[in-house]
Amino acid sequence: MRFLMLVKSTTCDQGAPQDETFLTAMDKYNEDLMKAGALVELSGLHPSSAGARVKLSKGLVTVTDGPFPETKELIGGFWLIEVKSKEEAVEWAKRAPMPAGRQVEIEVRQIYDVGEFVPRRAVEKARGEGKKLAARKT
Amino acid sequence: MRFMVIVKASKDSEAGKMPGKELLEAMGKFNEELVKAGVLLAADGLHASSKGARVKFSGNKRTVIDGPFAETKELVAGYWIWQVKSKEEAIEWVKRCPNPTGDEGVVEIRQLFEAADFGPEATPELRKKEEELRARAAQKK
Repeated sequence: MRFLMLVKSTTCDQGAPQDETFLTAMDKYNEDLMKAGALVELSGLHPSSAGARVKLSKGLVTVTDGPFPETKELIGGFWLIEVKSKEEAVEWAKRAPMPAGRQVEIEVRQIYDVGEFVPRRAVEKARGEGKKLAARKT
Repeated sequence: MRFMVIVKASKDSEAGKMPGKELLEAMGKFNEELVKAGVLLAADGLHASSKGARVKFSGNKRTVIDGPFAETKELVAGYWIWQVKSKEEAIEWVKRCPNPTGDEGVVEIRQLFEAADFGPEATPELRKKEEELRARAAQKK
């Protein structure tokens, strides 16, 4: 089963924590995820000032540039993991290192398996193309 | 530049309601266009938050709360990861997207950190490790 672990914080817009202790602990955590065969993808997100929101409503499109004031629900980063159960995903979330002095929450959400939601062919093809693209661009 | 393009939830997505055939087909076509343009890196739909949980961190304390969660408009229902030249290009693609929740939808565009963004504290060793991690994870996909 695949899960998305979303890091949410009121301090996301301050930018990524820079202290070396935290970065080293995060490094080890990501290695542990990798060694367990659970890690699929991970990334930090730039502050919402670098982002935008697009509202689609009955043919009308509205674009609003960040930052977004309701910072309680802002996403600061994520992991995409593959594990046996929600309980296992939650255990991983509990182990994530956290920077000092920040109020943080990790939301754990189950991902629809290919074929449950979107036509299988299109997504499998996209995954294949995505892998090729990612390999070329790194 | 890479962006996470987040589809916010709706009452329907939180009720686990499947999109209709027309919307599925339109989405499929849109995803194919993204692939052809070399933009699409990943796409996933999320189960309703009733199947999820939140872990709250406070000092050494960890508190687990099961879903569902109330703030529908701020929840994530699905996401793409795109590779584009700029935020503006990402916005142009979003404008072409079939309305994902079928009625009124909000899509949030957030830029992903690359190893180079972390600044001098992320030493060359840490950056190299991140690249290795990413390469090994990509093989797993």
